[in-house]
Amino acid sequence: MEQNTEKDGGHGGAGPMAMLSGVLGKGGFDQLRIVTLLFLAIFILYSVVLPGFFSVGNLLTLMRTVSVLGILGLGMAIVVIGRGIDLSMIATLAVPSALVLTLAAKGFGVVPAVGIGLMLAISIGVLNGILVAYAEIPSLFTTLAVGIGVAGIGQIGLFDYEIVSWPPALDGIAWIGRGSFYGVPYSVLAFGVAAIVIGIFLRRTRYGMFVYASGDNPGATRLTGIPLRPVLVMQYVISSCVAFFAGMVLAASSASMDTRIFNLTWIYDVILVVVLGGIGLSGGRGGVANVIIGTLLIGTIMNGLTIMNVSFEMQNLVRGLVLLVAVLADSIINPRNEETAQQGDI
Amino acid sequence: MTPILEMKGLTKYYGRVAAVEDINFTLFPGEVHALLGENGAGKSTLTKMIAGVVEPSSGEILLDGKQVRLDTPAEALETGIAMVFQETSLVPSMTVAQNLFMGNERFFNRLRGINIAAQQFMQALNFQVDPTALVQTLGAAKKQMIEIARAMLSEARIIVFDEPTATLTPEEKRHFFDLVKTLQKRGVAVIFISHALEEALAISDRITILRDGRHVVTDNTTSFDRDTIVQAMVGRSLSEELYGTRKNVVRRPGERVLQVSNLRMANVVRNNSLSVFAGQVTGVFGLVGSGRTETFKVVAGALKRNYLNGGEIFIHGKRVRYRVPAQSLHQRVAYITEDRKVEGFFETMSIKANIFIGWLAKAGWKTFWIRRKRVDEIGEDWAKSLHIRSVTNDAKVIELSGGNQQKVVIAKSLIQDPDLIIFDEPTRGVDVGAIAEIHHMIERLADEGKAVVVISSYLPEVMQLSDRLLVARQGRIVEEFSPLDATEEKLMYAAVH
Repeated sequence: MEQNTEKDGGHGGAGPMAMLSGVLGKGGFDQLRIVTLLFLAIFILYSVVLPGFFSVGNLLTLMRTVSVLGILGLGMAIVVIGRGIDLSMIATLAVPSALVLTLAAKGFGVVPAVGIGLMLAISIGVLNGILVAYAEIPSLFTTLAVGIGVAGIGQIGLFDYEIVSWPPALDGIAWIGRGSFYGVPYSVLAFGVAAIVIGIFLRRTRYGMFVYASGDNPGATRLTGIPLRPVLVMQYVISSCVAFFAGMVLAASSASMDTRIFNLTWIYDVILVVVLGGIGLSGGRGGVANVIIGTLLIGTIMNGLTIMNVSFEMQNLVRGLVLLVAVLADSIINPRNEETAQQGDI
Repeated sequence: MTPILEMKGLTKYYGRVAAVEDINFTLFPGEVHALLGENGAGKSTLTKMIAGVVEPSSGEILLDGKQVRLDTPAEALETGIAMVFQETSLVPSMTVAQNLFMGNERFFNRLRGINIAAQQFMQALNFQVDPTALVQTLGAAKKQMIEIARAMLSEARIIVFDEPTATLTPEEKRHFFDLVKTLQKRGVAVIFISHALEEALAISDRITILRDGRHVVTDNTTSFDRDTIVQAMVGRSLSEELYGTRKNVVRRPGERVLQVSNLRMANVVRNNSLSVFAGQVTGVFGLVGSGRTETFKVVAGALKRNYLNGGEIFIHGKRVRYRVPAQSLHQRVAYITEDRKVEGFFETMSIKANIFIGWLAKAGWKTFWIRRKRVDEIGEDWAKSLHIRSVTNDAKVIELSGGNQQKVVIAKSLIQDPDLIIFDEPTRGVDVGAIAEIHHMIERLADEGKAVVVISSYLPEVMQLSDRLLVARQGRIVEEFSPLDATEEKLMYAAVH
């Protein structure tokens, strides 16, 4: 029998997109390199044009403002590499950490309070993972619903006020978001540590490799004998734990946790950082370096706009445009493989 | 007579590999032109370029002497070129009439209206098909009739048939040939791709033979016979080595490794029973829809859900029921997929990483850290022993040729040290040199005492490799042959229904 093996190699057919893809993809110009160059260009431009941008104080401020975002991006990256998305991260950032603050204020010890918060974060991850892996609901819907639900639970019953303040009982661990180490804010260090840990996890451990495999080709992952579903669950558990960690850093640095944070559009910034850095939504591509560079780029742009006194609304517009361009570039550089793409995946 | 279709120097590259190169081809009105060649000779690619599915890298296509550019199948259809594919492109859950008029519906689409129109049209073509029947209830031949009717409805002047008779019964085939004759009388030019040489000889006016993406010969059918066609298709001694030599010794069966009894799955596998023994190659031949792939996927736990509706599976005499391949892996059962792109390899990873991940899946929970050196060692060892050729073993698998990709997929399974190895279409879309290597590898595995299953729809392949031949038809194994007395005709006769 004649077999149809000569399928078009997945590049989106004819036209300028394919040509651009050829130029960018084949010439060794992956998105990481493009974004790095872009970052350097903007950084140098700002340094020359904007007075006060290139100063130690401002650069540390820049880093501090994006460090929590960066940590969230690292957690999101794991899920996106596994061809999913976790929209519940902001709720997982807010509710378990606010719970820790509340419990500590009520006289639980530091360890039990943090332990209970962590358990809550893990159970959110497990719930996400089971719904995605076993019930086979697309991650977009699952994590959206779970995120809203978790935020709702927090708002209904767990806390007395929408803003939970940092209790003195927790001052023992306040250093994770407060203060600085030889001038470097601890929140920036927390980002660094999270980047190293997740980087090692992704590139140097068995399960990290399985995450890449499950994002690259779920069918092949399964057939190779890798327990695909447990690997998926694990991804969501890790992203939830990372979100919880980010929440603790944020709570410590601002001395409170605003549970209304879920209503903000922060989750889009997280996706922005991940996609901008070049972690393809089609899965299996990218790593920690992409998150770091994406975070730096977006932080730099926003910092410059703030210095230029551009209004918040205008900054939103810029962010929207940057995200659009990033997603567009992603779909050109990493064209979706039509043969393995499934309905419902993002 | 002026040709209706002409191709000049048509070339298509996939990456750096030419699928077809510098093809010249002419087609006259009212002509049946058979396009023959081995697997991977470029027939499908060529016809896909005619039908606007694939864009040529270079060369030109002339319709009625005028150069045309066909970017989409819709454009090709508009100019009168229709393609009837191997796998039908009908919507199973719709009626015949709906399928017929799909894409040409009026804004307000009345079922009664299209049913009547369909009835009239089908009758004009002398097709006996109920326009209100759901397509999923129809047999392969009727589906093909609808495809052809659809092509006729769009006033196609050129119809390309890709393996039209592969799934037809002898009775249905006769119908099909009558139909082609009718088309011919109406002045429609037909391009006919087939592996069945007798059919091509019986039905066509002219024959073009391709080999390795290049044009070999075009001539009137009367100047060919079976032998000259085969010679032109094969045209090299390598193929003699591949398929020419008949087996005269078979390996003796060892221990019974796999026993399947009364396996049932949906309505694809029906009370299937079979055994596979160590130390020999068990060939499984069957047509599309014979349940051969599904049977072995159930055995290996590779189907997406647990489709084991009934029956029992024994591995080494022990009753098993795998739900995921992760379970069968540890009992040394490997299924090597027929569709390597969809469930075979990891395209973003290197050759080494692909092979290593097979090892990693088996390695167990104790292996937590991955050392680069270990990946390199394991990957390079296996890449070398399976003769995977590439500039470097850090190359991404997607950049390799089909043969090398297949070897990577095989390596990924063999590294898990299975002793029941199920190859599903091991040489599909694989270049000739790699076919020989993969065949040698399969023989070697059997010599080492492994139980090897080769599922193939290519007769010479199963005949040459197998020590035992099983023929599947309609969801069960219907006949067993010894390769010593099997002929292609006998096997095919057992496989058709």
